[in-house]
Amino acid sequence: MSNAIDQTRRMLSLVTYLRERPGAEVAEVARAFGITERELIGDLNVLPMCGTSFRGGDLLDIDTDGDRIWWHNVDDVAQPLRLAADEATALLVAARAVAGLPGLRERDREALTRAVAKIENAAGDSAEGSARVGVTFEAESHVFADIDRALSEGRRLWLRYYSHGRGGMTEREVDPIRLVTEGHTYLEAWCRVSEDRRMFRLDRVAEIKVLDTPSDPPRLEPRDLSGGLVNPSADDPEVVVEVGPGGRWVAEYYTHDSAQELPDGGLRITLRSADPSGLRPLALRLGRDGRIVSPPELAEQAAAAALEALAGYPEGRA
Amino acid sequence: MAIAKAERLMNLALCLMNTRRPLSKKELRESVEAYREAWQNGSEDAFNRMFERDKDDLRELGLVIDVDENSLDGELGYLARADRNRLPEIALDAEEAAALTLVARVWQQAKMSGAASGALQKLRAAGVPFAEAGTYSALEPRIPAREAAFEPLLTAARDRRPVTFEYRKAGAAAAEQRAVEPWALECWRGHWYLAGWDRDRQDARVFRLSRITGKVRSRSGAFTGAVPEHVDVRAYVATFAGEGATATATVRLRRGAGFPLRTKALETRRVDETWDELEIPYGYGLGAHLAEFGPDLVVLGPDDLRADVIDRLRAVAGLEATAAVTLTGAATEGAQA
Repeated sequence: MSNAIDQTRRMLSLVTYLRERPGAEVAEVARAFGITERELIGDLNVLPMCGTSFRGGDLLDIDTDGDRIWWHNVDDVAQPLRLAADEATALLVAARAVAGLPGLRERDREALTRAVAKIENAAGDSAEGSARVGVTFEAESHVFADIDRALSEGRRLWLRYYSHGRGGMTEREVDPIRLVTEGHTYLEAWCRVSEDRRMFRLDRVAEIKVLDTPSDPPRLEPRDLSGGLVNPSADDPEVVVEVGPGGRWVAEYYTHDSAQELPDGGLRITLRSADPSGLRPLALRLGRDGRIVSPPELAEQAAAAALEALAGYPEGRA
Repeated sequence: MAIAKAERLMNLALCLMNTRRPLSKKELRESVEAYREAWQNGSEDAFNRMFERDKDDLRELGLVIDVDENSLDGELGYLARADRNRLPEIALDAEEAAALTLVARVWQQAKMSGAASGALQKLRAAGVPFAEAGTYSALEPRIPAREAAFEPLLTAARDRRPVTFEYRKAGAAAAEQRAVEPWALECWRGHWYLAGWDRDRQDARVFRLSRITGKVRSRSGAFTGAVPEHVDVRAYVATFAGEGATATATVRLRRGAGFPLRTKALETRRVDETWDELEIPYGYGLGAHLAEFGPDLVVLGPDDLRADVIDRLRAVAGLEATAAVTLTGAATEGAQA
């Protein structure tokens, strides 16, 4: 029923907003409230049923011709309402986190910091709870300015990038699409080498150059990142990992299709990866806490790499 | 057809905000059609439950509803006083308003995202000059909260209500019940942590939300202790991600390999054509991290780290554990991405 809550919240603000704007345009109001015109029309169908007394006929006389909105009996019910505790928390926590974001333009940071102070002030008691929630974004700003410039000037980037899966450096040209921060900051870009959309973690960019070549990424639908930034596709090969209790963290860090409880307190985790051999570091890391069940080649590669590594330790060999 | 909940809530809100004197439950029942219906078709009880829930919902939305015990002849009276519900003047200039729009889509969690847009809608209704579209860095900061425990813990911390939940410690085979007074929530590297007072252990503890299994249940009663002024969840958690290390380790690293280690190195020496020697901070979970580099890396010291890495490699290679190695998988949750 959270929809009814959000709709009520929105309608309360809507009446305040409409009060000041006789004949407001549907399209503009919908944009202002971040909703579709259809949702707005839905609200406008409910509002005439609302008022202080349905029996006395004291209802909001709001109507629309689908294009403009009219409120015929404006009264002073519609004062701007104070922020609720959760509203102040949601807004302030996010604003403080963004203000602390490395790489944010200095002007934006200052403006945001001023806005936070004013909102804290206006929210009064409601702002108290926001001190109990904190969000930190990682400081990975050394290449941020160049990426920001490439994005705003529409230019291609050259990267020397550390590939975690392969363990080595790669060099490539990419057309930047956007920067996404979730814990770490990532550059989403069209990679001219793989002819594909890729996520590059900023702390793995060793070197960067803004090229004179104009950026020309193909027009693409923005990717839905709601399931996480690393979203394997359904056609990617399946990888099955079995871990003991000490390896349960794998399920917390890797987007997976399923994690099945095992009798010993471990998990059988099924995930997908475009390039399973890129999971070799994971296989090596797991040690006694887990093993790759499939594909078998990945387990073999990891075993071979481990044996080769053991050659560096006289006491560790068989 | 039953009247939609949003319409009912809206009507209750308008009634409570538009009255100068407290209204009794009976008056509200007469004024709000949905209540009348519930009362006529259902029962006194059904109406009462609905009314109580609705009041709670409106309070969640920020409405201050006063309950008056005196003016109505023994009956309780309700009203939302204008002076207590008005947003104070807030003068944001265009630049500040624009910066705030950066924040609008940050929350990736339904309730928080609804609350954040609700706040912006209220500000917009109050006349804050939000521009149509910002001219911002193509930057999308996102705060995820996929953990089911997030919402109940946030509410419990807000209302200072003790909770219980099943929690599986890192590396533990089974979950166990914990009774906690929740203080603060912190998101670091995309994961949520809770700091609070552990009632059974009589000590402050940090919990990772993804390790809470099953439901968070709230308990009646108040906190038994004071909530500390400042809770540094981050420093605590960072320790377990191998940060803030005071010791150092020495490794031999193949030239060109191990970029993340190189950025952290305190010192890098060239050994020959193939190898460099690095001095790196030695914190929690380093052994697991170093094993990832396979044949590109050899741990030179200290001995316990070397033994840990050897043990991991032997396990992956399918060899028995060496007798000397008694380390168990303690260090399994480092700064893995």
